Amino acid sequence: MPEDGSSPAGKAFWNAIYAGQTATVSWWLDRMYAADYPLTERMTWFWHGHWATAVSKIFYPLPMYKQNVTLRKNALGNFHDMTRAMVVDGAFNYWLDNEENYVTSPNENMARELMELMTLGVNEFSQNDVRGAAHALTGYSTNLATGAVGFDASQHYDKPVAILGRRGKFNADSLADLLVSREQNARYITDRLWFRFVSGTTKPPASLAGAFSGRDINSAVRALVYSPAWSSPANSLVKSPVEWFIGACRALRVRPSSLNQGNTQWSLNQMGQIPFNPPNVGGWPYGEAWLSGVAFQYRFDLAQSIVTAGDLSPLSVPKSHMVQACADWLGVPAWSPRTASTLNSATSSASELVTAALLSPEYVVSA
Amino acid sequence: MITCEFNRRRFLQWTGASAFATMATQLTWDDLANAANSSPLAASTPILVIITLYGGNDGLNTVVPYTDPTYQSIRSNIALSATDVLPLDTSSGLGFNSQMPMISALYGQNKVAIVLGTSYPNPSLSHFSSMAIWQSASLDASATSGWIGRWLDRQPHSPFSAIGIGSTLPPLMVGEQSVASMVDVGGIGLPWGPVASILPRMGVPSPSDGPLEKAAATSISDLYATAKTLGPLVSTSPTGSFMSEQLSIVSTLINANVPTRVWEVNLSSFDTHTGEVNDQNELLAEVDAAVGAFMTAIGSGAHANDVTVMVYSEFGRRVMSNAGQGTDHGTSAPVFIIGNSVKGGLYGEQPSLTSLDVNGNLQVVTDFRSVYSGLLENVLGTTASDVIPGWNKTLSVV
Repeated sequence: MPEDGSSPAGKAFWNAIYAGQTATVSWWLDRMYAADYPLTERMTWFWHGHWATAVSKIFYPLPMYKQNVTLRKNALGNFHDMTRAMVVDGAFNYWLDNEENYVTSPNENMARELMELMTLGVNEFSQNDVRGAAHALTGYSTNLATGAVGFDASQHYDKPVAILGRRGKFNADSLADLLVSREQNARYITDRLWFRFVSGTTKPPASLAGAFSGRDINSAVRALVYSPAWSSPANSLVKSPVEWFIGACRALRVRPSSLNQGNTQWSLNQMGQIPFNPPNVGGWPYGEAWLSGVAFQYRFDLAQSIVTAGDLSPLSVPKSHMVQACADWLGVPAWSPRTASTLNSATSSASELVTAALLSPEYVVSA
Repeated sequence: MITCEFNRRRFLQWTGASAFATMATQLTWDDLANAANSSPLAASTPILVIITLYGGNDGLNTVVPYTDPTYQSIRSNIALSATDVLPLDTSSGLGFNSQMPMISALYGQNKVAIVLGTSYPNPSLSHFSSMAIWQSASLDASATSGWIGRWLDRQPHSPFSAIGIGSTLPPLMVGEQSVASMVDVGGIGLPWGPVASILPRMGVPSPSDGPLEKAAATSISDLYATAKTLGPLVSTSPTGSFMSEQLSIVSTLINANVPTRVWEVNLSSFDTHTGEVNDQNELLAEVDAAVGAFMTAIGSGAHANDVTVMVYSEFGRRVMSNAGQGTDHGTSAPVFIIGNSVKGGLYGEQPSLTSLDVNGNLQVVTDFRSVYSGLLENVLGTTASDVIPGWNKTLSVV
């Protein structure tokens, strides 16, 4: 990678890299917008936050795109297959420094985060397990430009190690097998699903992990959706900036790339969330963290541009019906007296009304 | 020992803090703006500025035991030699990373306290657990609030008491009843156009709001409040240094007598598993230049002697470097306390490089809660044990 951006060739290289990054983000936002099966896209987005890999370190868009394809392919499939694919995913390997993980000098980054954040949760393993897992992950190297991961057996630690009480020779595949086979893996992944889709303040019922006993993601999601908690108004979540943006674009039929892409991505970035660039390996924050006044100011800018380009025909109803029609349109169960009164003062302009509605607490928070 | 209850989910749950942060008092944004304008921060009111370094800053290459032969041998591929450091003195054998000339100069003026070997018992090697512990000031999994948040709970409600720079609220600023306000480096822009006149009405919580809807409404009124009072002051142009952009907002607002007692800024990317020397040098240079400019800026204002800066990270790094010229997760590291009223010098002692814990990490010399207690007592004027229940040791450096 030519690091020096001062030469003409270096400048051209980096311009191409950044243009590629912007295009990749636009591509995914458009795909989220246009999806015929939004659940697949929604789950791909969930898994992206779970296997949080950031282009800020990978630079090349292609490995990020390939990871995205892998996550989409397995989004509602089997978590065992997903994990096996991800332990040899180029962007993921490079992101967690597996490049520099040597037999004689292990680099623990990927081993630790694979256990703590991707499969088991914190305090479910010891430092000795980290050491063993790091040995298991030696010998893999990534071609950053293509995202391809190669394996060099001569660079792999081929002696037995102990990981989580199991002693044997391990590689990336068998490490993935071991981690996913742990009972704790079912609890951890279903906790994560519950946390992002149902409630940040309650625990899932034990039966949810049971629905994931075969590591079938579709079964776990189905159990989640059919649980009483799913539709309980007591469980509410804040829409993250991307979720809010895509929801608004879908409702108003505005393809994201039809907006000024620079402005859109800048606003999302200022709000703290842009696809392919989570802040760290733990993924994005949650809940009230998104509800700062600062976020509101960028949400306003985005709402203005979506509404300006949007199809407002669902509000072509008598004025007395507009506020209710807007709730139905945006999928808000009910306006509070505060919001209803604010919106009622805007019925002379459909665009003002829907702008205010998109910024209302009821739309930003999904009950 | 961190209890098993504490996992990533709980940390994030707590980051959201939805169930805990409710607004006790509701004022209109006009009330708030008027209050801020009419009650500027009184002269000699102490102010705390917290600088969080995310990712685990390598303490051994920040305050460098460069004269220790073990340091040179155990991490020979990243060890800094005598020419790469700015010696603290002639006796300690320690030197600042040479990327830190400003902080080194302040140390020479006795304005920097270095609290060596700071962490907590049985340190966690997880970024997220360890940062949760530092930000909550609790080793207990049931902690649901940050230490500044709990201080905030004990202040009269005002969106100005504590302010973070950025758009997402750090857990340390979340209390049981109150949360800090945020200001962004991009400046404050209020809604414009025809719809703008009705949006302030959306900022009033409604009786039917759940906790999150109420927080969403409050964020709107807080934006108007901060915009009216701070907006004209907060306009930065990008400098390429995120830290200096953040700290320049803070120094501007301190000099404008904004009634804020606690500020929070942060920088990420200290997780130097590979290529550490280049990456860490760049980051330390960014922090150093920003802190130097900040001290100069407040030095010309009314609060020059009122400001105390604390710099910390969730952990230091492994003593032995890896083959990728980086270091894995470690334990204790130095904390910096900087200010004109700080009693400069070394506190505690440099942890041994030969007597390591079972994982090859440094021993813990000072508990960070003692550092917080000193800041709570001496800077924020609070009984520390109200904010950190059950903790009774205090390290006073101010």
